[in-house]
Amino acid sequence: MIASPARRIVLGALRYAAMAAVAAVLLLPIWWTFVSAIRPGGEIFRYAADVGWRTLVPERLTLEHFRTMLASDMPRAISNSIVVSVVTVVFGTMVNAAAGFAFAVFEFPLKRTLFAFVLLTFMMPFESIVIPLYTLVRTLEWTNTYAALIVPDLANGLVVFLFRQFFLGIPREIYEAARVDGASWWTIFLRLTMPLSGPTIATAALMQFIHQWDAFFWPLVAASTPELVVVQVAIARNITLEQANWGGLFASASTAILLAMIPFLLLQRYFIRTVTASPDK
Amino acid sequence: MAPFRVPPWIPALFLAPALAGLLVFRLGPILIALVGGFTGSTLRGETVFVGMRNYADLAADPSFWSSVRVTLLFNLIINPFQICCAMGLALLVLRPTRGVALFRAAYLLPMTVSIALTSVIWTILLEPSVGPVNGMLKALGLQPQPFFRSEGQSLVTLILVCTWKGAGYWMIFLLAGLLAIPRELHEAAAIDGAGAWQRFLRVTLPLMRRPLAFVLVADTAINFLLFAPAYIITHGGPAGSTALLMFEAYQAAFALLNHGRSLAISTVILVIIGVIAVLELRLFRAAHERTG
Repeated sequence: MIASPARRIVLGALRYAAMAAVAAVLLLPIWWTFVSAIRPGGEIFRYAADVGWRTLVPERLTLEHFRTMLASDMPRAISNSIVVSVVTVVFGTMVNAAAGFAFAVFEFPLKRTLFAFVLLTFMMPFESIVIPLYTLVRTLEWTNTYAALIVPDLANGLVVFLFRQFFLGIPREIYEAARVDGASWWTIFLRLTMPLSGPTIATAALMQFIHQWDAFFWPLVAASTPELVVVQVAIARNITLEQANWGGLFASASTAILLAMIPFLLLQRYFIRTVTASPDK
Repeated sequence: MAPFRVPPWIPALFLAPALAGLLVFRLGPILIALVGGFTGSTLRGETVFVGMRNYADLAADPSFWSSVRVTLLFNLIINPFQICCAMGLALLVLRPTRGVALFRAAYLLPMTVSIALTSVIWTILLEPSVGPVNGMLKALGLQPQPFFRSEGQSLVTLILVCTWKGAGYWMIFLLAGLLAIPRELHEAAAIDGAGAWQRFLRVTLPLMRRPLAFVLVADTAINFLLFAPAYIITHGGPAGSTALLMFEAYQAAFALLNHGRSLAISTVILVIIGVIAVLELRLFRAAHERTG
């Protein structure tokens, strides 16, 4: 069946119209949030009830809402979230890569059983254990500490799996050569394997960063004091309907979104390649 | 790669930190939920064994069953719906003509907005009197809607909001599957006279079974555990219409301070997720053994 040229052009145009319509539905909420953060407070809802081009394009720009944000609990929350996310990424990458290395490179007793256990843990999402994990962390007397926010999130079955998949592709000869040169396995892991694994490290780091940066349920129950409040909890708390400071809320939400979106956009190429390869390999 | 045979202490050292973490902070809580579901607190705050009482209480509690119903209804609708949307998006951006890469990237942006922020933003967007969505409906000459404020609309609205965030993410997996289908199969079917719809049913869908199954199982696990929107937007309401199980477990632990009950609900959730995980593992294994 061969489509006529006219039919083809019409179908092509319809396809672009559909793609643009979907993009509008998906992006306008984010755009409106950003715009509301940089326009005067009085105009945020005026053009929401009275929809027109001004709804999406601010006539006057202001940074007043970001000044409001800096005077709130957000700076504290942002620094807490950054500390928690960065520490998780650094230690989590090491811990999970080491385990992935063992599964890929060594033969040892119980290997299949332990690997099945790792797979099973990543199929039980973190959220499914939040309530009993709280009981555990309370018993350890870790509630309202950085440890409660960081330590349970370090070991991650999916990240172990991703590293193992990548490490399996490294030729055995490379290791044999290094062993002949007398390198220890630890040196091989740090000096040989890890430097070859840039894209996988980037993906793993991004996954663990986003998981911590986006975390809401666990920090809400485990560490909700003002000193330990994280970004998501701080923003969600500020949305009580009594509060009139919408501008500050939009500035906080925009900041939190951008701080997750920028690393994602920078690393999305690696991320997409790695996650789409995993179910099939 | 053929693995190296080394003294067992070497792999043990490499594995120890990650496995210890998974044992203590993944397996540990599961055991706590299983055991804790059989305990209760006395008035003096001691934890005592109460047998099946928490479960008997749950079984006799209409609000628990209502929450189970809401969670099942939510999942029966949202999972097929999100997958259809994701599949639609993937098909829409499949042919790499000019500018399509930009649309693909644009569709991923909502997944970078956390579920908590998604809840915050959509609470404001869908605010019945001042929100821009009703502003737009009015501009189009339509009636403003109550959305999350109405018992009849709250669950549907929640499904649409979660789909806004999730569709682009699941699209990635389906798009990868679609791109892996050899062009020749479509061309051969076209030569045999199959129309676009026929080709989709006879060629595309059968070859997409595995990516679709993977997305279905992974998506279901996430949606069964949804918490933030029920907490931030609706507090389970109106009239329990969005009281998802995870929110019930939270309420039992932190509003009612009934830990036995919250751990019993957690056990119910864990059993459901466990069944889903075993299904997922089998899919994974099947894929794994096929490609080596």
